[in-house]
Amino acid sequence: MKPEPSDGLYVRFHEERCTGCAECLKVCPTNAIRIRRQKSVRFVDQCIGCAACLRVCPAGAVSSTTQLPESIGRDHVAIALVSPVLYAQFPSIMPGGVLMALRQTGFQHTVDMSFFFEMFEFAAAEFVRRNRTTREAPWPLISPICPVVVRLIAFQFPSLLPHILPVLRPVGLMTRELRERIIPDYENQKQRVVFYYINPCPTLSASTFGIDPHRPGPMEVAVGINDIYPILKPQVEKVLASDRIPFSWTRFGFETCSTADAAFAAMSGGEITRMEIDNSLAVHGLKETVDYLNKIEMGLLKDVEYIEFRTCREACLGGALAVVDKYIAKRHVQKMVATFGMGRRLPKDSLLRQYEQGKFKLEKSPEVLRRFFSSRKPTLSLADAARVEQLVAELGNHNCGACGAPDCRTFAEDVIHGQAELKDCVWMYVRSLKRGRTETDADSGKEHG
Amino acid sequence: MASLKKFFFIKARDFVHAGEASIHIQSLLKSMHWDPVLIRRVAICSYEGEMNVVIHGGDGVLNLSIENDRLIIEIIDDGPGIQDISLAMQPGYSTASDEAREMGFGAGMGLPNMKKNADDIQIESEPGIRTRASMTFLLESPKETP
Repeated sequence: MKPEPSDGLYVRFHEERCTGCAECLKVCPTNAIRIRRQKSVRFVDQCIGCAACLRVCPAGAVSSTTQLPESIGRDHVAIALVSPVLYAQFPSIMPGGVLMALRQTGFQHTVDMSFFFEMFEFAAAEFVRRNRTTREAPWPLISPICPVVVRLIAFQFPSLLPHILPVLRPVGLMTRELRERIIPDYENQKQRVVFYYINPCPTLSASTFGIDPHRPGPMEVAVGINDIYPILKPQVEKVLASDRIPFSWTRFGFETCSTADAAFAAMSGGEITRMEIDNSLAVHGLKETVDYLNKIEMGLLKDVEYIEFRTCREACLGGALAVVDKYIAKRHVQKMVATFGMGRRLPKDSLLRQYEQGKFKLEKSPEVLRRFFSSRKPTLSLADAARVEQLVAELGNHNCGACGAPDCRTFAEDVIHGQAELKDCVWMYVRSLKRGRTETDADSGKEHG
Repeated sequence: MASLKKFFFIKARDFVHAGEASIHIQSLLKSMHWDPVLIRRVAICSYEGEMNVVIHGGDGVLNLSIENDRLIIEIIDDGPGIQDISLAMQPGYSTASDEAREMGFGAGMGLPNMKKNADDIQIESEPGIRTRASMTFLLESPKETP
């Protein structure tokens, strides 16, 4: 397989805008990017959707696969699945007001994902508590919430897959609930339903967004917060300006949001704070996540019970498609919580009953991801690996990137796999020139042929 | 027959770079698509070995050697050495400095962890002169999860 500029599941590379500056080359955590003919190309199947390239590209040559739907609800029933990050984009309006404004843009239903965060946090805390005696899963358990973390583990740390908390993610709980409670009515009326997943991550749909198996059902469209923001902002202002709350009909508890701390789960440390697991950590940022996964793989952090990993700085508030700066968004959330306090909507006894019935349990083990991801990088034989080590030493380990690979090791592997040639290394080239000159000096008089 | 040999320097009391050899070995084995559980066992052992040198040893070296059916990690250092190897093998026994303990190391699980995860371990120590630990991992190992 050759690296190419084509579309992936998470981001698109636009060749015509790429200046070949190589900013993206070194930030890719899976080393999927190469520069060929002065353009960024990549091994599309090795992309885990972290958006590091999108953030760093100065030419705007990398874009998200999320899209702004043109005609929300025109010939279908439009259901907005709302990441709580959206609430943090608007100061001085309650989450319920944002959802109301969203319904004015054409959505028949708005579903508050923080409702399902609450379910998840209960189930996660319950699993951690029980795991102290059952030892069903190894410590430290890893939060399944950040899809990039899950893909990173499947791709580069497969031995840590059993550490992923086997509880359905909020997005999975949410789509299941909708399939059970909202979809059947519309299907009986032969109406087409479309899920619009409004979130801060680059992705194509809610299903590819994580580890939920594909299931037949409504069409899913992923919408970036930056896509919906321009049409939502005027509606939010209208809601804020009106002296009485406009009438807006909702049927289910999860269609609106009356708690002020809904966006708390999107904040760094929000998940573990609400779970009330003392022996836990919150780790954020791509490099920090990789460092900590390395530590766990080396047998460290066994005394920690739960780790909330997010590859974005300041967690989901710092998502690549958020509009408001992460620190300002964080302040919005803090102010809201300070004013209105924290709240819980779901009764614990009912949650416990559902937990006992196994309703929160992940149906398929994250182990299935191992097969899915393990085939994506070509295998080196022992002889090849030895040759790579030798080549890296010969290349000099400058990691300059001039060859178009992010570092000497990746370049050496490319050479072994037939994806690059040794002459692409400028250091080797310069050395060969120097060697040629000294040879010529020494052999002056003799002929070269 | 194919083989791979590589060595890494380990600096005493260099807690910042401790673990780098282990991470290197991990990614090397991943590029060959070895069994993840075996990779993890190797990672745990090489890390514990590295930390032993960083915490107790003088400067040292880690030799990695992969033959067709086995991987051997040999760690040699010229630190104070181990007075009583069987005592050092007991879980919880530790002679780590306060400095190391304050950083969360030196819980006395290093050697027991290495013994648990390697298929074979050999330790020789001449106190004050040099200490050598050699761990062998079989590609077809009977050992399970770390």
